[in-house]
Amino acid sequence: MSYTPTIVRKTSPYLRRPQATVVRMMRDVVIALLPVTAFAVYNFGISAVYILLAAILSMVVTEYVYYQVIDLLNKESFQWKNKSFTLYNYTALVSGLIYGLTLADGTPIWVVVVSGSLGILMAKHFFGGLGQNIFNPAALARVLVAINFATFATYDAHVADIDGVAGATVLGVLNDSSFSTAMLADFPLWRMFTGIGLPGSLGEVSALLILIGAIYLGVRTSFEVRIPIAYVLTVFVLAGVVALQKGLGIWYPLTHVLSGGVMFGAVFMATDPITSPISMPSRVYYGFALGFVTFIIRLFGALPEGVVFSILIMNMFVPSFDYVKWSYPRFTKRGTLLFAGVIVVAIAIVMAGVHYVG
Amino acid sequence: MIKKSSKVRDYKELTKALPTMDFLEPESVYIHLQNGRCKTYDLHVKDGDHVTVGQVIGVRHGGFFEQPIHATVSGTVGPVTKKLHRTGRKVDCVEIRNDFKETYHESVVNRPDHVIDQLTQQEMVDILREKSLVGLGGSGFPTHIKLATKDPIHTVIINAVECEPYLSSDYRLIIEDPQRVLLGLKYILQALKAERGIIAIKSDKNPLKEVLDQVLTVKFPDLPVEVMKLGNHYPQGWEIEVFRAALGLDVPYGELPTKYGVISFNVSTTAGVHDAIKYNLPVISRYFTLTGDAIEFPQNYHVKVGTSIKQLIALSEGYKEEYDKVNVIMGGPMMGVSTVSDDVIVSKTTTSVIVLADTDYHEEPCVRCGSCVYSCPARIEPVQIMNAVKKNHKELMKQLGAYKCVECGLCAYVCTSKIHVTDYVRKAKKLVGDIR
Repeated sequence: MSYTPTIVRKTSPYLRRPQATVVRMMRDVVIALLPVTAFAVYNFGISAVYILLAAILSMVVTEYVYYQVIDLLNKESFQWKNKSFTLYNYTALVSGLIYGLTLADGTPIWVVVVSGSLGILMAKHFFGGLGQNIFNPAALARVLVAINFATFATYDAHVADIDGVAGATVLGVLNDSSFSTAMLADFPLWRMFTGIGLPGSLGEVSALLILIGAIYLGVRTSFEVRIPIAYVLTVFVLAGVVALQKGLGIWYPLTHVLSGGVMFGAVFMATDPITSPISMPSRVYYGFALGFVTFIIRLFGALPEGVVFSILIMNMFVPSFDYVKWSYPRFTKRGTLLFAGVIVVAIAIVMAGVHYVG
Repeated sequence: MIKKSSKVRDYKELTKALPTMDFLEPESVYIHLQNGRCKTYDLHVKDGDHVTVGQVIGVRHGGFFEQPIHATVSGTVGPVTKKLHRTGRKVDCVEIRNDFKETYHESVVNRPDHVIDQLTQQEMVDILREKSLVGLGGSGFPTHIKLATKDPIHTVIINAVECEPYLSSDYRLIIEDPQRVLLGLKYILQALKAERGIIAIKSDKNPLKEVLDQVLTVKFPDLPVEVMKLGNHYPQGWEIEVFRAALGLDVPYGELPTKYGVISFNVSTTAGVHDAIKYNLPVISRYFTLTGDAIEFPQNYHVKVGTSIKQLIALSEGYKEEYDKVNVIMGGPMMGVSTVSDDVIVSKTTTSVIVLADTDYHEEPCVRCGSCVYSCPARIEPVQIMNAVKKNHKELMKQLGAYKCVECGLCAYVCTSKIHVTDYVRKAKKLVGDIR
């Protein structure tokens, strides 16, 4: 009883879950992206490496420079290891990698760098850094490429064995001739599922590898599995309704789910916790809204692809999903009934749209 | 980690298997004259008087919560000094120097069973009031008020869940003294004319079920009591969660469970009911856990109320020398109160003292993972309340239901960014008050 340590006063609770850290969560996303990345490099060769490196470096370096400038403006002494720098918790790295994987393989490097830097600055740092951003940095950067540099972002399609449609993606074909079965000859479903020999963005061609990443994230509980499930299911059901109306086969909804960025966006971009709602039911509703907007853009919009746009659009509505007057942390009977009503209305809108427009 | 998580590592292996050590003969005991609810008191004895075990030495005033004070050892009364209380304040304590004769006061009697069988609810309530029995799980709410309920009660639940990590005193109490608990439950059932008793335990505490079932079949074959295993999660021991898990009954916020015909008591309190009814004895001793990773020999103790914790730490061979900063926590590690010194006293309602190595957690910005929202047992949104507190938006705090918080600490425990969310919600609770 001779030894008495200093007794420090704290407030309860005194324990923390040891494995719950931001680093673990973000590192898991990087690990889940590895198969997709490897496949992109295998598929598109050295150009994929350049684009991915450019995307990651543009975001990480921009973040680093931004924090150094802020510190300078606050008249703090210069340090190489900045205190607010967030590379150590992988967040900028994750944004950069996701951004790189959404790009087309023919995108020039300078376009990648300019959009990446602007993307992380405008989406993340203008709003106050990690945890404060409204928009998903990767999605915003991708949209900057799509809008500002649309003509540069081409699909070179180094993939050899597609005949006749070199340079065109599945969705491009689908957008030009919406309801024709002819495209099935060029893009069989197994190819869309595995991504072998399919043109498209670096990371989004292989649904199989994305699923492997999703399962890893799900097992490690590093993302909210309800968002991608609701998202993909919504696209599938809405496309299924259209298929029934037009007398198309099961290939039509499957094509919508497997092609383009739906799988990739649902698993890796929509689940970004910072830019998604906070409670369990809100997240399901959010996934549904994303699927709906994506499908509407694809079907009625001029663009072949709607995933990043729908993510940015729904990002704006996240605070209203969490609004205190109607948000509740558990599923309620009333909420579920309302949600069912909204689903019915959504289906009706799609059917009416297809009837009058399509 | 984005998930609804209620598993908290329980660290009970430190003390669970060890037999309880009796430490019933301290040099002197210190009896609290004030507590969280009673600020003033009268002391009927003075320095040098001789008292016996169970003798009334004063009364704590607090209106509704007024209660007599009893001596827990026989000996000579010493001076009144200031000591730390569980609530973190310094309160007056009277010292009683033990004469090691253990003479009982004449009020302590062995009531024969046929007399007990005739006792009515009112008579039992009167006995409990005289013996100043309170909720020994830590609430300190007078048991006689609970037992005097006018609502018809059909089910009595004994809460033996003990979901806080590290604690195992209730566990040891049932293992070592199951008859006391079951008799206490029998008296409560008799007083409330309830037709069913449930002893709620955590699903991973199988030995408790074995012990209780065996005693029930051998000694109390007619007692309508069953042992029920509830989930192995935190905070399963919260009264509302116990009702939810055991009976499927959702008691809304702000309503008393007695309205729905159910009532719950802590295990130690039930044992206390037994002592009061059978032997007319106030709470003079209790099961007590002294544990933590910064103590040499974690152990359960059976101690006199009023024992100095310094002495118990010495019995446990003191602090580990590798830690230079520790937290001394009274109560569990999730909800307990941290003290500034180890000069504290085992009061009736102190279940444990936990000595933990002091850790400073590195806080990161909130990434809105939602784990706190998923996990909150009170079904509020801690992170939203935190944002409201940061902006000092009182109306929003009220709308978010900050007053419903039970301060179980789960939101801070699960936080991915290691933010002390519980502290923010606590602040919100203070700001908006209870608007029931």
